[in-house]
Amino acid sequence: MVEAELEKIFPNLKSPGYSIKSPISIYYNCIAWAANEADRWWWPDVNEQYYWPAEVKREESLTAFIKAFGLLGFKPCKDSKLEPGFEKVAIYVDRDGKPSHAARQLPSGMWTSKLGNLEDIEHTFEGLENSHYGKVAKILKRPIRRN
Amino acid sequence: MNLVIVSGKAYDWRDDPPACYRHELLDQIIDHYWVPISRKNTNLIQKFYSLASTWIEETSFLSSAKEMAMHPAYQQIIGMGKDVIPLILWQLEKNPNHWFWALKAITGEDPVKPEDRGKVGKMAEAWLKWGKEHGYKW
Repeated sequence: MVEAELEKIFPNLKSPGYSIKSPISIYYNCIAWAANEADRWWWPDVNEQYYWPAEVKREESLTAFIKAFGLLGFKPCKDSKLEPGFEKVAIYVDRDGKPSHAARQLPSGMWTSKLGNLEDIEHTFEGLENSHYGKVAKILKRPIRRN
Repeated sequence: MNLVIVSGKAYDWRDDPPACYRHELLDQIIDHYWVPISRKNTNLIQKFYSLASTWIEETSFLSSAKEMAMHPAYQQIIGMGKDVIPLILWQLEKNPNHWFWALKAITGEDPVKPEDRGKVGKMAEAWLKWGKEHGYKW
């Protein structure tokens, strides 16, 4: 998608700056990307079309998303500040309080997001707020895994 | 079959319909000859692509499968019923997108293996195989 269109959807992106980091892809979404996957869609749809951990209830609730990331070792934390040795995930909720998006913090302190069927972008913590995604409702962290 | 539907009731077109319905019957006959079946299919195709492009344009940034499926254009496509299955399958083959919810809603079936949930390529393959097995051509 051209940048002007992205900035129309996500007005906060424009002033602090952001960068597009991948081609458009339909094969994974933001939740998968936040969980470090790039080969499937994660979503707790009741129609059971998409991947969702079997241990977590299929419901669009913040609790269900926190539990799903909990299975990957993430635990709630108090803020978005960069903490050496940890990676963080931010879960966004829309105006109805339903999860709408997730972003993952990079070692640089910037955040990476997959935008639906569109590209991955690198952005600031506030870059995707005040949009259809709503606002960040929970931040989680886990120790960075070293291979 | 010699039945026509006039004001919600079925009549044998060879019978003389009630006078108050004659104009409706005449309209149907004119419509049939004025707009051939082939052109009616063109209308179906145009409607499908118009709705599909609105849906793609307005939902491409979403991750919520439910929100994508609840979009009014997507719901209208589901409402078009089995006639759109070949168009959806053609789309799925050429340019995969999230047509799985619609296919499941229209057909009542789900050929995707549980382990392939969320893997768009494999989901598309499963539906294309299903389409061929059920005699759909696209």
